[in-house]
Amino acid sequence: MSAPALLCIEFAARAEALAEVRAAVQRALSAQGLSARELAQLVLAIDEACANIIRHAYGDCGEGRIRLRIERRRGRLRFRLRDHAPPVDPGCVRARSPDACRPGGLGIHIIDETMDSWRLRPLKRHCGNVLTMMRHLHARTAP
Amino acid sequence: MSKGCELHRDGDWAVLRVWGEVDLSWSQDVRRQVLDAFAKVRALAVQLDAVSYIDSSGIAALVEGFQHARGKGGRFALLAPSEPVRAVLELARLDRVFPIYADLEAARAA
Repeated sequence: MSAPALLCIEFAARAEALAEVRAAVQRALSAQGLSARELAQLVLAIDEACANIIRHAYGDCGEGRIRLRIERRRGRLRFRLRDHAPPVDPGCVRARSPDACRPGGLGIHIIDETMDSWRLRPLKRHCGNVLTMMRHLHARTAP
Repeated sequence: MSKGCELHRDGDWAVLRVWGEVDLSWSQDVRRQVLDAFAKVRALAVQLDAVSYIDSSGIAALVEGFQHARGKGGRFALLAPSEPVRAVLELARLDRVFPIYADLEAARAA
């Protein structure tokens, strides 16, 4: 059985929706014992994941929906993003090298740095993809 | 206004003042202003003290400006980035890549 959701929202896959999504995520996570910096970083990582879906999965077409569910279970936060875009090959989703100064791939790098793990799963029987990101709530030490 | 950017000249520099939340919904405007500025001047400073949020698309606009200046022998600087901007620059490991100054005078003198 899934844990009660801290947040469950569905929104248009449009860049204009992101400010409201960030505000909702901020509210949902504000009572989870995170520092201000951790909270800001998580909001950023979720924003980056949504932006990637809008730009790359939906191809900036301005249509489509995204569903975001956030759960807390066993000391971890679980973020699940479901879209209805054409399947994305997870092998094509890569972060830029940390030392490369170029515009692209930074969103995945931010997700890598923020989350303990993530998995992108194209749905074979239904159209769409599911991105699941996990983050422990215990204090993290700097790498 | 809650977000926007405005370009002005200050001697041989252009200063692009950006404010509000910079995200995918309008980061292309920032990118366009950055690249347009280089059509007029060889030195551009982006003032970031009033930016309350920036995502990777906003950072990408700054990276393009930096690369453009480097490729054309011009100058590019970030002025007084706010704490949220600094945090993202550090996360992206770009805080040591961009020339960052407190104000335009410091950038000029560097």
